[in-house]
Amino acid sequence: MAGPAASVHEEALLRPLSSFRPKLFVGSLLTGLLVGVLFYSWGYQIVNDIGVAGINRPVFWGFYIVNFVFWIGISHAGTLISAILRVTQAEWRRPVTRCAEAITTFALLIGGLFPLIHLGRPGVFWYMMPIPTERGLWPNFRSPLMWDVLAITTYLTGSVLYLLLPMIPDFAIIRDKAMREHPKSLRTLFFRVAAIGWRGTPQQWFSLEAGIRTMAVVIIPVAISVHTIVSWDFAMAIQPMWHSTIFGPYFVVGAIYSGVAVLMVAMYLLRKGLGIGEYLNDKVFNNLGLMFLAFALLWGYFTFAEHLTVWYGNEHAERAVFDARISGEFAPLFWTMIVVNVLIPLAILPFPKGRKPLGTAIVGLGVLVGMWIERYLIVVGTLSFPRLDFNAGSYTPSWVEIGILVGSVGLFGFLYFGFLQLAPIVSLWEVREGEHIKNRQAPAQQHALHPASEEA
Amino acid sequence: MPDGRLHAVFTTSADARTALNRLGQDGVAHENVEVRSSVPLEHDIIPVGSKLRSRIPWTSIVGATLGGTAFFLMVKLTSEAYPLPTGGMPIVPLPTTGVVTFEGLAIGAILTTVATVLLECGLPGLKKPGPLDHHLALDHVLVSVTCDEGASTAWAVKAIETARD
Repeated sequence: MAGPAASVHEEALLRPLSSFRPKLFVGSLLTGLLVGVLFYSWGYQIVNDIGVAGINRPVFWGFYIVNFVFWIGISHAGTLISAILRVTQAEWRRPVTRCAEAITTFALLIGGLFPLIHLGRPGVFWYMMPIPTERGLWPNFRSPLMWDVLAITTYLTGSVLYLLLPMIPDFAIIRDKAMREHPKSLRTLFFRVAAIGWRGTPQQWFSLEAGIRTMAVVIIPVAISVHTIVSWDFAMAIQPMWHSTIFGPYFVVGAIYSGVAVLMVAMYLLRKGLGIGEYLNDKVFNNLGLMFLAFALLWGYFTFAEHLTVWYGNEHAERAVFDARISGEFAPLFWTMIVVNVLIPLAILPFPKGRKPLGTAIVGLGVLVGMWIERYLIVVGTLSFPRLDFNAGSYTPSWVEIGILVGSVGLFGFLYFGFLQLAPIVSLWEVREGEHIKNRQAPAQQHALHPASEEA
Repeated sequence: MPDGRLHAVFTTSADARTALNRLGQDGVAHENVEVRSSVPLEHDIIPVGSKLRSRIPWTSIVGATLGGTAFFLMVKLTSEAYPLPTGGMPIVPLPTTGVVTFEGLAIGAILTTVATVLLECGLPGLKKPGPLDHHLALDHVLVSVTCDEGASTAWAVKAIETARD
């Protein structure tokens, strides 16, 4: 067994759970202030009505829908990537899965807020639930917006459970440790409750592993369906540059791309802030960096294919949107997006030195900005140029929308900082299991390399 | 041995396997033996005579079927309850129904899987912690044997004899 050696390294993971950490406190405080900005801005909008936002004819979808698509995309960081790595039994996944799955859960919660904010009157949200309203109406199942509600609810439920299920044995490890050190403390009580009586018997492990495996298989198509359906919010409408057959896979690739980007940045900050370089080591960054590179290429290919067909088709309304992107009012944003999403990643990530923690985090930050711009161009870029020219218009976000955007970033940070203080950010039992597997394989490999030595 | 059980701590899974085999040879029923660890062990490190099994693949299929059927019916029955005039076209066409049904399949499978895990694991559990549970936090393996009061001393002597330095 890994024994005491493992527990020495684990101290770095358990420290934020047991003692006051100034960095975490300051982080929580700063992001908490941004959460205040979010709720102040939203509250202002609820009191003064949706007119305080910059959305107006013809751009009825502005920052709120951009942010919705952006955060739902970010949510593909965790559950999907973690599920793919589990299904493919990639051993290096072990330190990554928990911090990635937490990103999914929090990003989905925030993404799910934006349709509520966009409604202006969040109280009428229940019209989207499959229950009769006071007017005897049922939700329109033909609408992709309704599919969104179902898909996101499914994904959120699955992601929360997929995050919580593997956390139970970790809570039990902390409980067993805390029961000896501080049996009467509030913290011990918390972990006793959180561990829900986990004992670690072979049958429990067998069932848990079977459950995690099954959920990993189920959650992959669900994650893909979520962003495909988000893309259909656009593609099912005959707006120029929305009505595209490749929007589904284009959005899924973009979502995973932005998901890996946020994971890179988060892992870099965790490594620096918590001193857990032992777990989030260069190998993990290198492997995720290669995945990042693959998605940079895929996203670049989809973007090229999408724009080439529009340019070649030369259809009047589509060309107007296209020209605004390439050389018109949206050109600075479009070319910034190409630089940060394609050129910089391709200049840095192919080289092993570029796939070090700092390099991947810098690329990740750029890609996050670039992917937000992509969503802005899709939403605002198209709506500014509707098919009927007389209706063309522009959009400027108000301070309320900007406040809500900044606040949503703060809310994400705040939730993440909170999570760091409640659960180990790296799965203890999965890492231990990885060490055991390595230890078991080592003698076998040695024997395979030098079979004669043992016989002698 | 305050709870009528003999607890042993092993630092390696190989030692735990040996102990379990010995217990089996001594005729101790597997119901009286409990193995615990902070990581999943090899699947042969279980009390002799016991078997690991999970119904999860099947229950998740059943859950998916139920979830899919429920969502399919929700769409279909809604159409029938609110028969809009659509000129002979379906109120909710099949591809749309398919999208909704798929989400039902997924949520059904997810919820049933989690429910089955909890059920098979006996969670939430109310068993009291054992005296050596802190060893689990150190990545050791615990083996506990329920034994008669009279036999306990002999058991303990035997166990101590097998202890390693």
